[in-house]
Amino acid sequence: MRMIDLYIQEVTRRLPEKSREDIALELRSTIEDMLPDEYTEEEVKPVLEKLGNPAVLASGYLDRPMHLIGPLYFDVYINLLKIILPIAAVISLISLIANTIFSYSGEEAVLNVLLDSIGIGIWRILSTGIQVFFWLTVVFAIIERTDGRKSQTPLTACFKEWTPDDLNHIPYIPKEKAITKVEVFLGLLWTAIWASVYFNAASLLGVYEKGNNGLEFVMPSLNQEVLLSYWPLVILVIVLEIAVDMYKLRAGQWTRKIAVLNLVMQVVSSIVFIIIISNNQLFNPAFVTYMSDLFSLTSDFDSWFSYGAIVIFVLFAAFDIYHGFRKANLKNLK
Amino acid sequence: MSTLLNSLTTELRRGTLTLAVLSQLRKPQYGYSLVQLLEQCGISIEQSTLYPLLRRLEKQELVTSSWDTTESRPRRYYVLTPYGIEIYQQLKTEWEKTSQELSLLLKGDENE
Repeated sequence: MRMIDLYIQEVTRRLPEKSREDIALELRSTIEDMLPDEYTEEEVKPVLEKLGNPAVLASGYLDRPMHLIGPLYFDVYINLLKIILPIAAVISLISLIANTIFSYSGEEAVLNVLLDSIGIGIWRILSTGIQVFFWLTVVFAIIERTDGRKSQTPLTACFKEWTPDDLNHIPYIPKEKAITKVEVFLGLLWTAIWASVYFNAASLLGVYEKGNNGLEFVMPSLNQEVLLSYWPLVILVIVLEIAVDMYKLRAGQWTRKIAVLNLVMQVVSSIVFIIIISNNQLFNPAFVTYMSDLFSLTSDFDSWFSYGAIVIFVLFAAFDIYHGFRKANLKNLK
Repeated sequence: MSTLLNSLTTELRRGTLTLAVLSQLRKPQYGYSLVQLLEQCGISIEQSTLYPLLRRLEKQELVTSSWDTTESRPRRYYVLTPYGIEIYQQLKTEWEKTSQELSLLLKGDENE
């Protein structure tokens, strides 16, 4: 008797209030139908075993699904997750880098700040990822349960049923012209790295000598005040780089427009680089003397270095511009 | 029986369950009598599937149910509605068509 009661309770507690009593009554009459008039607990067991797991039985009575996200929404869910997760990760990373750069007081060793930032960065990406994953899953689980549609066909990303016309919205991207997410991400990372170096040059770029505690920073190579006086130009380049990267991410393939944008960005950053590096106040005089002594150079170390850097920078920029136009001009192989 | 074969068989039978249950409900039946009827014909059905299935059929207005309290213990009887009879006939025709087509296919397989 007791086992039957417990079994029925196990089933009905999973059901909505209004149907509990009715189903309990029917279950009891069914179970008793299967038993002889006088029965023992031992005889009850195989009967209950036949009815199976109370949770499964209860879920049969419920129309509610026994899964979080069913086949109707799974594809949309996964696709959205794939789009949103990397974006959230990049945004959290960018905000962290910006935060670190602007809150840097110059007191701590840069390497320490860098290592801390990497640690925090990994943690931030993980926690943002988990947050995004959680909320998206919750939203889809709710949609799954409140969806009134009777149709059984899975939905496309526009939350509609698929038709052949949908194919027209999919851009055809040949492999050779594609811009991968990794490429864009590396671009953003590069921007973040050189921007951090720029704003911290006074304590990062310079002469290191072997001291008691490993490497010790002896003198900065650049004149930080001169360097930082160009900040509006540098910000312009940063914004331009991020904008081009974002546009590349959205387009997904090289086009003439992107190649032109890339050209503009490279030309602007080359000009800014040349303006900054050809300022003869830029180098720390102590550093110039130090280097000249080190390599026993007679001519000016700083102008020699500047020209070298300009040539290399412009070469890289030219190559990048060429690379962009080459990819944009590739014929669409159908 | 291997697990794969088992699950394929279950899947094969699942679709026929509704038809099997509907076929036995021209006369009112209660849960356990229905189980026995089906078992007599060699159809074994998980009881945890059957009882919820009956409720679902009622919700879909293919069957109606009523409590009979005249016997020693109260029993819930299920019987086809006119709409249920209509659907049952159509489903039966579909099944006969399918099984004919399939047996034709399977016969062809034997001849090869």
